[in-house]
Amino acid sequence: MWIYERKLEYPVRVSGPNPKLAKVIITQYGGPDGELAASLRYLTQRYSMPTSQAKGLLTDIGTEE
Amino acid sequence: MDPNQQALLLEIMELEFTAIDLNLFLDTHPDEKRALVLFDQINQELTMAVERYEQMYGPLTASGQVPGRDHWDWVEGPWPWEQTF
Repeated sequence: MWIYERKLEYPVRVSGPNPKLAKVIITQYGGPDGELAASLRYLTQRYSMPTSQAKGLLTDIGTEE
Repeated sequence: MDPNQQALLLEIMELEFTAIDLNLFLDTHPDEKRALVLFDQINQELTMAVERYEQMYGPLTASGQVPGRDHWDWVEGPWPWEQTF
């Protein structure tokens, strides 16, 4: 379950357009090795974790990402 | 966004950032006394700050709607991507 909070985890300051940087950020965000893919991987891998500590950690890291 | 609202929101963001980090630390150090005490303290401060913010400036989550209002405040702006820090 997902709950939206109307705030950022960390403040973002955009000073101006920068297509080169934007390309890096969108890859890190949604690319094959980006945050989105990683979070879904953590949230799926937790099902086969043997200890409750590992289940908890993967749940929380996946959520955080 | 007025400066007082911004300041309170930043305080909430700092508290929650701290809470998330302590959460992840405690996942792998579940018996660490200092972290447990700090987590309780931060969490309490966070709950109070969020309550204060929502009373004055509207909900931070959809369930934060102040009871008894005759308007649904959730969809009122500004959204996080419309604010400058």
